[in-house]
Amino acid sequence: MKKFVVYLVLIVGGVIFFYPFLWMIMATFRSEIDIGYPGLFVKSLTLHNYEIVFKRIPILRALFNSLFVSLSVTASVIFFGSVVGYALSRLKFKIKGLILGVILFTMVIPFQITLIPMYILMVKFGWVDTYLALIVPGMISSFGILLFRQFFLDIPQDLIDAARIDGCNDFQILFKIFLPLSKPVMITVGIFSFMATWNDVLWPMLVIRTRELMTMPQLVTLFSIGGEAEGQLGPQLAAATLLALPIVVAYAFFQRYFIESMATTGLKG
Amino acid sequence: MRKTGFLLKEEHSGYLMSLPYVVYFCLFVAFPLIFSFILVFHRWNIITPMEFIGLGNFERLFHDVQFFKALRNTVIFLLIHIPLQIVVALLFATLLSQQIKAKGLFRAIYFMPVIVSGVVVTILWMQLYNYDAGILNVLLSKLGLKRVPWLISPSWAMPSIAIMATWKNVGLYIVIFLVGLQNIPGYLYEAAEIDGASGLQKFFYITLPSLNSAMVLVIILSTIGGFSLFIEPFVMTGGGPMNSTLSAMLYIYNQAFYFGHMGYAATLGFSFAMIVFVVIIIQRKIVERK
Amino acid sequence: MFIVFLWNLVYNLNPISDSLIKRTILFLSVLLFVVGCVRDVGDSTSEVNEVYLTYWCSPNQQEIELAQKVVEIWNDEHDSVKVRLQPIPASQSSEEVLLAAIAGGTTPDICSNMWPGAMSDFIKAGGLVCLDTFPDFYDVMLSRVPDDLLESFRAEDGHFYQVPWKCNPVMMVYNVKLFKEAGIEKPPATYSEFLAAARKISKDIDGDGKPDRWMGYRDIKPIWWQRLFDFYPFYIAATGGGTLFKKGKLILNNPAAVKVFSFFQRLYMENYFPRSTLQGDQFLAGNIAVQFSGTWIVSYIERFKREDFEYDIAPVPVPDDYRGPVYTYGDPKNISIFSTTHHPGYAWEFVKFLISKANDLALLRKCTQIPVRKDLVTDEYFKEYFKENPKIRKFAEQAPYTRGVDGVPDLKEIFHIVSLEYEACCIYGVKEPGKAVQDAERNAKVVMEWNRQ
Repeated sequence: MKKFVVYLVLIVGGVIFFYPFLWMIMATFRSEIDIGYPGLFVKSLTLHNYEIVFKRIPILRALFNSLFVSLSVTASVIFFGSVVGYALSRLKFKIKGLILGVILFTMVIPFQITLIPMYILMVKFGWVDTYLALIVPGMISSFGILLFRQFFLDIPQDLIDAARIDGCNDFQILFKIFLPLSKPVMITVGIFSFMATWNDVLWPMLVIRTRELMTMPQLVTLFSIGGEAEGQLGPQLAAATLLALPIVVAYAFFQRYFIESMATTGLKG
Repeated sequence: MRKTGFLLKEEHSGYLMSLPYVVYFCLFVAFPLIFSFILVFHRWNIITPMEFIGLGNFERLFHDVQFFKALRNTVIFLLIHIPLQIVVALLFATLLSQQIKAKGLFRAIYFMPVIVSGVVVTILWMQLYNYDAGILNVLLSKLGLKRVPWLISPSWAMPSIAIMATWKNVGLYIVIFLVGLQNIPGYLYEAAEIDGASGLQKFFYITLPSLNSAMVLVIILSTIGGFSLFIEPFVMTGGGPMNSTLSAMLYIYNQAFYFGHMGYAATLGFSFAMIVFVVIIIQRKIVERK
Repeated sequence: MFIVFLWNLVYNLNPISDSLIKRTILFLSVLLFVVGCVRDVGDSTSEVNEVYLTYWCSPNQQEIELAQKVVEIWNDEHDSVKVRLQPIPASQSSEEVLLAAIAGGTTPDICSNMWPGAMSDFIKAGGLVCLDTFPDFYDVMLSRVPDDLLESFRAEDGHFYQVPWKCNPVMMVYNVKLFKEAGIEKPPATYSEFLAAARKISKDIDGDGKPDRWMGYRDIKPIWWQRLFDFYPFYIAATGGGTLFKKGKLILNNPAAVKVFSFFQRLYMENYFPRSTLQGDQFLAGNIAVQFSGTWIVSYIERFKREDFEYDIAPVPVPDDYRGPVYTYGDPKNISIFSTTHHPGYAWEFVKFLISKANDLALLRKCTQIPVRKDLVTDEYFKEYFKENPKIRKFAEQAPYTRGVDGVPDLKEIFHIVSLEYEACCIYGVKEPGKAVQDAERNAKVVMEWNRQ
C-alpha cells in the first residue's frame, strides 16, 4: 500500500514535469485553431508552423552559431582550466596564493556589477556584432579552473617526478599524464560550460544585433516577442521545440553526465 | 636528450601557465570592476562625454520608486520560490531515495526542465498561462472552476513566474537533496529505530539536520537566480502588469538599453550585487545556526 | 601572442601527445584563426578607385525589397559610386542599435530609419552630418516639403540633421462587416460614438462567461513605444495637433490628456478591449472590430486577409466637444548622413536620389507608406496610384494633419512614465485619470531634472 502511494506520487510528478514538453511537441503540428486543445492528439496535423519558422528566421544559421560559440567556449574553458588548474595545484611559484585568492574572489562577484562595463568594453573594442564578443569573455572560467585544480591535487606526485626524470616539461606532464586521467572532470567542466553558453540569452542580446550572428536562444526569443511570429502561437512553439531539440537529444544519450555535472556545479539553464 | 629549456624551471612554467588567467582577469574582471566603480559616479549614454555627478546616481536610486519595486518583486519571488522549491524537492528526493524501481528514469524526467533553455520554458508556459486559450485555464473551466488571471493580474503575475521557475529548477534541487540523503549514515536511522522514533521524528531529527549544507546550497542558488531573473519577465510581461514583474535585471536592462543611462544602470547593478551579497550572508548565518 | 603560445605547445607535444588533446588544441587554433579572419574581412571595406557608401534601411521585409530595388538602380547608373545595402541589425529598437554603432564608430554612411525622437543624443555626440551645409539643401527641401514642416525638424543648435522622408499616419482601421452586423452605419468619429459602437460589438458569443469578441485590442506590455500607437495619437487628436512639449516646457497635464485617459479607461473597464494577450491576428479573424495603425497595415491585410474580409479606414476618434481637423501621430522616419562617412558629397547625392519622385512612388507601391511631400494627392505623377488605391489615399490625405514627437533627450523615458500611468489608470483602473495624468507629468519632471542636474 505504501509502495503504491510512493509510485503514484512519483508518476504524478513525472506527468507534471514531462507532459508539458510532450504537449508542446504535439502542438507544433497543429493549426492555430486546434492549438489550445489540452490533449495530445488532434485530427489534422500540419507542418505549417515549421515552414513559417524556417521561412522567417535563419534558424539553421543560428544553430550553427550556437554550436560554434558553445563548442569554442567549452574547448577553451577546458584547455585553460586545465593549464591554470595544473599551475595552481602542482607548481610552486611566488604569486600562486594570490592568484588562488583572486579566483575565489572572482567567483563571488555577482554578474550584475560587471555586465554594463563588459558591454561598454565590447563596444569600445569594436566587438559588437562579432563572434569575438560571444566567445572571448567566456574563454576562461574561474569555476573550471577550481574544478581542475581540485582534481589535480589528488594525482600522486610520483607520476610527476617520474616524468620529470624523463625530461618532460610541465605542459607535457599536463597533457600526457594528467589530462588522460581527468576524463570525469573534463566532462563535468565541459557540460557545465557548454550548457551555460548555450542557454545564455542576456549577453548575446546585448552584443549581437545582426540576425546572421545571433545564437539560437536569442533568435527564438526575438522571434517570439518581435513581430515576426505575428502573435501566432504555433510558430513560436515550433521555434521553441527546435531550440530544445539538440540539448534534449544530447541529454537522452548522456543524461547521467548531465545530471552529475549540473548538480556538482549548481548550474541552471 | 635532456632539455634545459625555460619551461623546465618549475617557477617559470608556473608563471607561464597562469598567465592566461592573469590576462583574462585584468581584461574581463578587474577592468569591468574598476570601470563599474567609475561609472556609478557619472552620467553617461556611451556616445556623449562622461559627466561627473558625484553621488547623484545614488541619490536618484534612493528616490526611485521603481528600484524599490524591483527589489520588492524579487523578495516576493524568493518568498514563494524558495519554500516551494524546498518542499517539492524534499518530497521527491525522499521518495526517490526509497527502494523503488525505475529510479533513474524518474530522476531523468524530473531533471528535464533543468537542461532545457529558459527561453523554451518561458514560451511554453506563456501558452499554459494564457488567459483565454491557455491549457491551464481551459482545464480549469472544464472542471467548472474560474479562470485564473495568471499573467494579467498584478497580484498573480509574480507568483505565476515563481511557480514556473520552480517547475524549471526543482529537478536540480531534487538531485542535490538526493546526494545529501545518500550521505546520511544508515546507523543514525537504526539507532533511532531502536529508540522507537516514528517516521516523522526521524525526518525532523535526523534527515533535515543532515541536509543542512544541501539546504544552504539550494537557498543560495535560488537567491542568485531570483536576482538574475530576466528572460521570463522580458518575454512574458515586459515587467508589467503595473511593474509587478519588474525584476532587478530587467530594470537594469531598461535603464541601460532603452534609456541609455549607463551610469545609473551600473549603479543599480552595483546596489543589487551588494544586496545579493548581504542576503546570502544572512541566509547562511540563519540556516547554519539552526 | 596567443597563437604563438598555442603553436609552441603543439610543436612541443607533437611526438607524444594524446590525440584528443591534439585535436582540441588544433581546433582552438583554427578557431582563433577563423575568428581573426572573419574580423579582417569585416574591416577591409576600403577598395581602391571606387567610392563605397553603406546604406542602412529598416529591417522589415517590404522596405528591404524597396531598398534593394532603389540601390540596384543607383548602382546601374553610377559606375564610380557604389552603394551597399544593409538592413539595420534587428533588435528591440533601431535607436538602440544606432546608439551602439555611434559608440563603436561603426555607423553606416546613410540611414533611412531615423526616428526624430532619438536624434538629440546622436547630434550631441557629433554622430551626424549637418545637412544645411550642402548648398542646395534648402532648394531641395522646400521643393519637397512645406516650410513649417521642415522647420519642425530644426535641431536645438539651429541646424538640420535629417531629411523628412516618409510617415505612417496612425488611423482607425475597421472591419466593415462587423460594423454592419451590429447596425453601425458610419465609423465612430467621437468618443461617445466609439463607446456606443463598442457596446454593440463586444460580446460573449459562445456563452462561456467571458467575452470573445472585442471592439479593439492593444498590446498592454508597459513598453514605451507601444504608447505611440494608442495614447499618443489620441492625445494629438484631442489637443488639435499638440505634442507633449510647448516651447520647451512639458504640458502633459492638460484636459485633453485626461480625456484620453478616461476614454481608454472606459474601454478596458467595460471590457471593450481585452486585458489578456490574444494569440494570432484576431483582427483578420474577425474577433476584433477596430485597430489603430499606420499605413503599412494595408499591405499586410491585403497579403493575409481572407477573400471576404472587408475593411476601411477612418480618422481616430476625438472627444465629443472637439471641433476642427483631426490630427494624429505621423510616425515619421527620416534620412540622415553619419559623420563617419568619407564622402559626404556622394552621400548627399544618394539621399537626393532616395527622395526622388520615382522612388517616392516606389515607396508607395512596395511598402504602402506615405512619402512626406507636399501636393502628394494633387500631383499628376501620383494620381493614378491613388486612383487604384483609395484606402492609401485616405492616409495620404491625413498626412498633412500629423505630428511627430518632440526632439527632447528624455522622450523615451517620458513615454515610459506615461506608459506606467496608462497601465495603472486605463488598463487596471486603480487610478483616477486626472490623478494619473498629474502623476505622469510630475514623475516626468523629476526624471528630466535627474537627467539635467
